[in-house]
Amino acid sequence: MSDLAIRLRRNGGFLAAIGLFAAFYLFYHANHPRGFSVPVLIQNVNEAFTLAMVAMAQTLPVLTGGLDLSVGAVMTLVNCLASEVLTGGPLELAFGILLCLLTGALCGFVNGCVVVFGRIQPIIATLATGAIYMGLALFIRPSPGGKVDGDLSWAATNDLYEIAATYGFAEGGDAAWFQPIAWIPTPLILLILVPLLFWLPFARSVTGRTVYAIGSGEGAAWMSGLAIGRARIAAFTLGGFFAGMGGLYLALQTSSGNADIPQAGAYTLNSIAAVVVGGVSLLGGVGTAVGALFGALVLRTISFNFRIFEIDPLLQPLIEGVVLLAAVSLGAVRVLRVKNTLELFR
Amino acid sequence: MTFARAAFAASISVIALSAGAALAGPKVVSGPGFDPGCFKPWSDKIGYFQWEKRPGPHKVAVVNGFVGNTWRIQMIQTAKAFVEQPEIASQIEEFKAVSTGTDVAAQLGAIEDFINQGYDAIVTIAVSPEGFDRVIRLADRNDVVVVPFDNVLDTDKVMMVNEDQLEMGRMYGRWLTQQLGDKKEGKILEVRGLPGNSVDRDRHLGFREVFEPTGKWDIVEVVGNWDDGTAQKVTADAIAVHGKFDAVVVQGGSTGTVRALLDAGHPMVPIAGEAENGFRKLLAEHGKDGLKGTSIGQSPGMVAISIKAALAALDGNVMPQLISVPIPYANYDELVAGENYWPDLTDNFFTVNEFPPCNVNITATEIMAKTADNQ
Repeated sequence: MSDLAIRLRRNGGFLAAIGLFAAFYLFYHANHPRGFSVPVLIQNVNEAFTLAMVAMAQTLPVLTGGLDLSVGAVMTLVNCLASEVLTGGPLELAFGILLCLLTGALCGFVNGCVVVFGRIQPIIATLATGAIYMGLALFIRPSPGGKVDGDLSWAATNDLYEIAATYGFAEGGDAAWFQPIAWIPTPLILLILVPLLFWLPFARSVTGRTVYAIGSGEGAAWMSGLAIGRARIAAFTLGGFFAGMGGLYLALQTSSGNADIPQAGAYTLNSIAAVVVGGVSLLGGVGTAVGALFGALVLRTISFNFRIFEIDPLLQPLIEGVVLLAAVSLGAVRVLRVKNTLELFR
Repeated sequence: MTFARAAFAASISVIALSAGAALAGPKVVSGPGFDPGCFKPWSDKIGYFQWEKRPGPHKVAVVNGFVGNTWRIQMIQTAKAFVEQPEIASQIEEFKAVSTGTDVAAQLGAIEDFINQGYDAIVTIAVSPEGFDRVIRLADRNDVVVVPFDNVLDTDKVMMVNEDQLEMGRMYGRWLTQQLGDKKEGKILEVRGLPGNSVDRDRHLGFREVFEPTGKWDIVEVVGNWDDGTAQKVTADAIAVHGKFDAVVVQGGSTGTVRALLDAGHPMVPIAGEAENGFRKLLAEHGKDGLKGTSIGQSPGMVAISIKAALAALDGNVMPQLISVPIPYANYDELVAGENYWPDLTDNFFTVNEFPPCNVNITATEIMAKTADNQ
């Protein structure tokens, strides 16, 4: 088998997610009254960003073979924290952003420590820590509200032109050299930069490959002398960081914080769905955070289409479920071609 | 990205134009507002908005959050039935309804998408009282009328529609005081709603404000989550513990509470509750046995008033920023089958849907005819 064929086979789920996303998304734009225009793109990325981050957060624990039920709670905790600290001068804002991201990473680190040193199944450990994070979020923000710097929130959730106009560089966004890139939505840039700067280096490091090794066969990884505990903690910490990124962005988008328990639950469940749609195996060891990111985009684009077509609102959850089931089943098509069923019990 | 780059480049000029344009949105004017019988201002202190008049027919969207309880489903069905009434249908070019779940990002996204699609008015039940600054800003830029109702926002920058929950609590209190007459002390059961919700808080505060000063009352509070099953269980527990109550107030899940009273063989006492059909059926059935109750409702029909308010705003009328919808109620001796309760409809049906001052008259049969597959 050629190298390309092997690569294609190994990334089947990932490619299916991209294909599905491209199909749904093109369909949406083609039928939108203002399809293929910047405001629609900005709106779409804004809506998808937090879920994409939470889906990436979920990927890391899933790669080690465990589920993280606290991603929604970490996202919510950072969201509430951000609504307290994202005010003041530039220095205070920078410090606030840093504090939010560190808090996310710290939550992930605690999860990792509980799992590794407490020797507790991740699903149970994170159920408990998730409740703690939710409690902290409620403590910080008992009722929805708070304040987020208006300029920062407006600039971060629009295109580059608005950043330039808000902070007065590139002649307030009107400089000629700036025009070719002025239309690009800021969240789209972040959506590309975050995996590029944080996920790829991690996945290529020894620690990252150890995470895959744990998911593929923990015993074998241990026998090979890999630092299993350290890799697990690193995986949860990076996951917490991504979830924190999501919470931070939600705060910028809504200019407020809200310790909303049903919402945290919805994000956790959707992150698991996104991970599966994105071609990450729940058994561990297979898939990438970029795949999960596209899984999240697929999830969002399904509901985008509900706004274009006449679909009864009471039928929408049903249709969403059916499409998701079909999407997940696509990834399992290879089962039909397996010659020896024993191969399935890898 | 799979986008045609040229298409984006072409639209830059559009964006530059819209960014350069002055902030539009409604003018803040002084009252009195249009049709005060229907669009009653919340208080004397609130402001008035006026949008520029534009020719119809209009595009209107309903962006619901959570879906899954009877009230929300009935709300959506009411909206669909309302826009099909001839007088309203002639003003509407396109109507869409979506439910976005409990996720605020998805709800904001849906509202922004409808703004992008060029809709004229968006009616919504907000999933969070905060976080809508961005879409309000965009709506004002694009001259879109956004109308939150039921769960409203903590802002005075948009036109909103609601029933006064504090007043509803006071009505519970006044009615029980009147029914208890000379009795000035005893035990009262208060079945509360979903904890942490502003509606639960306001009804509770309103009730206590009116009722507590009228005597030496020992008020027992239980949490019924506005749900028949939960309310029935907690009422049964409370009766088991406390024996007998002199009156009951229940915010929601009233059918369950009455069932628990009947099952326990509790003496018939005055009860103030919500407007579920099941509650009214029980009141009508046991009224002659001495079950006296008042049924006061948060109506899913508010969606119709919100749509009507949006259309009035698009016609260039002066509108109050916060509209108080009259609180519909019926006492046990005023119940008429087929008029304010329906013996052949389910217990979960919310009975109050008609608002005569607003000329909003959607009958129960019209709503129930809107089944899920009917578009």
